[in-house]
Amino acid sequence: MFEKTATEIVEKDFKTIEENTVISDLGIDSLGMLEIVGSMERQLKIQIPDEALAGIQTVRDLLEVVDKRQSA
Amino acid sequence: MSRPLKDTAMQERLYGMYKTFFDKAEQERRWNPLRDVPYEKISAETPESVILCAETFCLVESYLPDYVSQGINVVRPYFGQAWFAANWAYEESKHSVALMEYLLQSKRRSPEYLFDLQSQLMQMKWEMPFATSRQMTIYGCFQEMATFVIYVKQEKRCKEVGDECLATIFRLNARDEIAHCRFYQDVVKVLLEEDRPGTLADLAFVAKNFTMPGVDIVPDYAARVEVMREEGKIDRAVFFQKIFFPCLSYLEVTRQELMEANAAERRAVSNVAAE
Repeated sequence: MFEKTATEIVEKDFKTIEENTVISDLGIDSLGMLEIVGSMERQLKIQIPDEALAGIQTVRDLLEVVDKRQSA
Repeated sequence: MSRPLKDTAMQERLYGMYKTFFDKAEQERRWNPLRDVPYEKISAETPESVILCAETFCLVESYLPDYVSQGINVVRPYFGQAWFAANWAYEESKHSVALMEYLLQSKRRSPEYLFDLQSQLMQMKWEMPFATSRQMTIYGCFQEMATFVIYVKQEKRCKEVGDECLATIFRLNARDEIAHCRFYQDVVKVLLEEDRPGTLADLAFVAKNFTMPGVDIVPDYAARVEVMREEGKIDRAVFFQKIFFPCLSYLEVTRQELMEANAAERRAVSNVAAE
């Protein structure tokens, strides 16, 4: 889901995104990352608090935050 | 010729904000870097890494002539903002003096070394990172908040190592920085009322392209930043938690609004590139 959302938003074709990929290494800046988060929030109908976003570095970090909100 | 009413009302609000800022500063925040800092409480044991941080902040603050000359001109048409810029310069001038006095009185840096470094510094010139007064005001929000957070962390670190003098300097500097930040934020609130879409677009643009002053112009900046990261623990998470989100919250701008503005800007850029 991250890959699809990121591709749509940043309009880049990401060849290999793994869970331990650092998001900024994909050429996605901080605001781009927030856009991806916003889109995932809308699609999954969840709300991620700002403080949970601060520590996100890797794709896994983001997916963990999303999982946590889904199961909350 | 009379000005349009909207502009006059705006000027009046900005002047009112400046008066509030100035009055509070006169009543509560005036301090003298030569008299109000306990230089007798300098610790000889302060680690070199902490001293290097103090030196770096002193150097960044030393580009004051560039900050003032360029910063004040961009807000020249707005009395309240221009007078704030003059007052800002006075307050900022004390920050580098206090840090310089610390470095000299502690004898951790010699006058020759420090003044030589200052001369080297002036061979480079700070240029405004953004072109318009609105963008520079938004930049001021983030930059002053970031400096406030950094100084608070430095104050804490200095207390840990038992340097009461340097801790006092960082506390006094931090108190000024947050006051400056609040003024900029209040101006941005007014700008949002005047033109929300345009101000949001600028907010996204500035957030995206934000860098701290001093990058690439202070000698050995990259190496200095490494030491600062170790000592002050400012990383991306801290930036979001302590600077970016609190600023948005104060401005009553939602993450969603900012993201929409960012997306609009990106579409505009890609449309221009496609043409």
